[in-house]
Amino acid sequence: MGIKNITLEVQQFGQYLLKDARHFQIFYLSLFLIYGVHFLNWDAEINRYIAITAACVGTQIGFSLYHKKSLSSIKSALISALGLCLLLKTNALWVGALAGFVAIASKFLIRYKGKHVFNPANLALIVCVSLTGEAWVSIGQWGTNTVQVYFFLAAALLVLLKVGRIDTSLGFLLAFAGLEFIRSVLYLEWEMDNFMHYLSNGTLLLFAFFMITDPITTPNHPRARILWSLLVGVVAFILTRWLQLYSAPIWALIVMSPLTPVFDKIWSGERFSWSVEKTTPNSLKISKS
Amino acid sequence: MKKISSLFFATLMIIPHGFSFCGFYVAKADTKIFNKTSEVIYVRNGDRSTITMSNDFQGDVKDFAMVVPVPTVLKKKDIKVMDRALFKKLDEYSGPRLVEYYDRNPCQSHYLYKMDDMVMNLSSVECISVNESRSLRKNKVKIEARYEVGVYDILILSAKESEGLKDWLTENGYKIPDGAEEVLNPYIKDNMKFFVAKVNLERQGTLTADKELKPLQITFESPKFMLPIRLGMANSDGSQDMMIYFLTQNGRVETANYRTAKIPTDKEIPTFVRNEFGKFYKNTFDNAYELEGSDAVMLEYAWDVSSNTAVKCDPCVGPPPLYVDFIQAGVDWFKNLNQDQPRFDGSGGDYGSAFFTRLHVRYDRENFPQDLLFVETPNKENFQGRYIMNNPASGVFDCEEGQAYLKSLFERRNRELSELYSMASWSSDRHNEYLNSAPLSAEINKAFRQSDKRGEIPVLGFPTFPKGLSGLLKMLLSGVGLFALGYITFRIQKISARKPVLEHL
Repeated sequence: MGIKNITLEVQQFGQYLLKDARHFQIFYLSLFLIYGVHFLNWDAEINRYIAITAACVGTQIGFSLYHKKSLSSIKSALISALGLCLLLKTNALWVGALAGFVAIASKFLIRYKGKHVFNPANLALIVCVSLTGEAWVSIGQWGTNTVQVYFFLAAALLVLLKVGRIDTSLGFLLAFAGLEFIRSVLYLEWEMDNFMHYLSNGTLLLFAFFMITDPITTPNHPRARILWSLLVGVVAFILTRWLQLYSAPIWALIVMSPLTPVFDKIWSGERFSWSVEKTTPNSLKISKS
Repeated sequence: MKKISSLFFATLMIIPHGFSFCGFYVAKADTKIFNKTSEVIYVRNGDRSTITMSNDFQGDVKDFAMVVPVPTVLKKKDIKVMDRALFKKLDEYSGPRLVEYYDRNPCQSHYLYKMDDMVMNLSSVECISVNESRSLRKNKVKIEARYEVGVYDILILSAKESEGLKDWLTENGYKIPDGAEEVLNPYIKDNMKFFVAKVNLERQGTLTADKELKPLQITFESPKFMLPIRLGMANSDGSQDMMIYFLTQNGRVETANYRTAKIPTDKEIPTFVRNEFGKFYKNTFDNAYELEGSDAVMLEYAWDVSSNTAVKCDPCVGPPPLYVDFIQAGVDWFKNLNQDQPRFDGSGGDYGSAFFTRLHVRYDRENFPQDLLFVETPNKENFQGRYIMNNPASGVFDCEEGQAYLKSLFERRNRELSELYSMASWSSDRHNEYLNSAPLSAEINKAFRQSDKRGEIPVLGFPTFPKGLSGLLKMLLSGVGLFALGYITFRIQKISARKPVLEHL
């Protein structure tokens, strides 16, 4: 009896976990954070993590209640919070809190045709880095390590196959790494490991697999998405090599995000919904058209 | 860190007169503790870079030459010959420090306090040797500029292809190491110029009496905030050390394409390390570097040295850099101080903000395939490599507190040995001797051991749980914790029996 109950419970729990790709994302991003703190000896600023997470979740709850929406999007807020914990460095708690607030508030305030325009964590990063003067992105904090690359890839694959946004990652990497390959290996004639060192940067992989793939702020139609992500890669490459801006991908994404509605207008596709089983009336309408 | 520094301040308030604030200098490890070490002072402001390179070249000066890829054709005013003293000063100021404290005997009313600092001095050599000759033939190489600066003859070369540059250098008597050609090529293609310096023997004879080669300083404008290290690796097997002292306006410098890790700091170590501090730090550094995967750049010092910062080091092992030092190093953003004004000594003179970062790079071909790229962050947090020695109190410990003190001393010594083992891998027969040295003794220690319910305290410090393993364990635990959290959420949702609502946020 008891065993049967437990099996049922495990089964249901498993289904619950598998149902929503965000569960995977939360799980992996948390693991990355723990990995960074324990293996890479990051300054474990637990206060900063708490400030960011509290601000994200608090803002989300506030807006959700105001708009009378479900609280299940706390999961999305958690993903933004984890992304910020992984990328945003600051010594001031208020900057962390501001980042969390900007990330989530932008989802509710900067919208176009029912979709938010900017990737929440991306916008918060840019706002805090460029306006507060107290925040920065530590591009080299992951170092480059082969094991780490596989770790990232494996985790990313699971999430992205679920979300169906692997095309965005590949598009970005194809353009960004492809151009760099042409520049450093084919033109400058650096050795291959010089290029691989560039490609195995943890921050780049995190961006490519976990930030740019946000299904809400990428174009709906696969063809549009691939073109759009290729463009992000090209812009990022130009910023890196012309301005020596090593955090270029996050700047490229902020530049390209407002173009998503344009891509959506040209190629209409089914809008993404986090829960897989059902489609919303809205998306049904779009897919019919 | 902040806590410790304020504690340190508090302690300083009650020290007897005669012990100066900045500590006093007892000894320096003047030996070359790291082989093949070069030193660089890097001042960066916007797109402007001023790089001072020290060359502690050991051979005959006629064999000396230096080839550095630079992004632009330098003008004569952008090349200077500097004094070595600046390197010594910055090295001493920012080096790892050993501080010494004296315990108070709780059974006596007076006590002693003393602080010693030791500083490590690093020397450098990293150049490409060449033989001089005066061939003037050209080989698809353009001499963009030719200067005489101090004892140096400077050439700025540009080339169309590596073969040509290599031939030109060889024909002109520069001995190019094998493997350099492949490395020259990417720099040429990247439109870099080559800064070539060698000693003019005639002028060297007339200008200077001493044979010591003075550091060269170059200034250029370029968005590239980097140091080319690949050229220096062409002829070197094994690793080389480089110390980089950064002076920037806003905050700490870190590497953009490598991980910047911190050296261990604020550790209590046994008093017998005193005379071998240099060796201790070298071993500690070696271990820390290896533990970080041998591919990280190590942060050894970071401090806000703005004119309005009251505490420019804590404790100071060498005097903090003065206004003139900054200017010498190439800082160009300071407000002009009147020449007549006395040097800034902490009491006056508001010239502006500056931040000091010291990075220790140990690089080899395998782990450092790219040149070093840097970014300046707004991080103003101070950091230093600080190791603490506690001298025991002396006298008679006949009161209750005295006995408690002895016991805590016994435990502390065990802890110190443990730290020494895990940091520098030192384990020697001195350990027992240290544990049993005055005011403790074998008999007293035995009593402590027996009274200790935990059983015998290990004489040799156990290494802490291997880093990788403990990290793995923590990650596993965290994974389980995450699942537990997920399960709780699941239960809550199930209990509340509310069907998940779809939405787009």
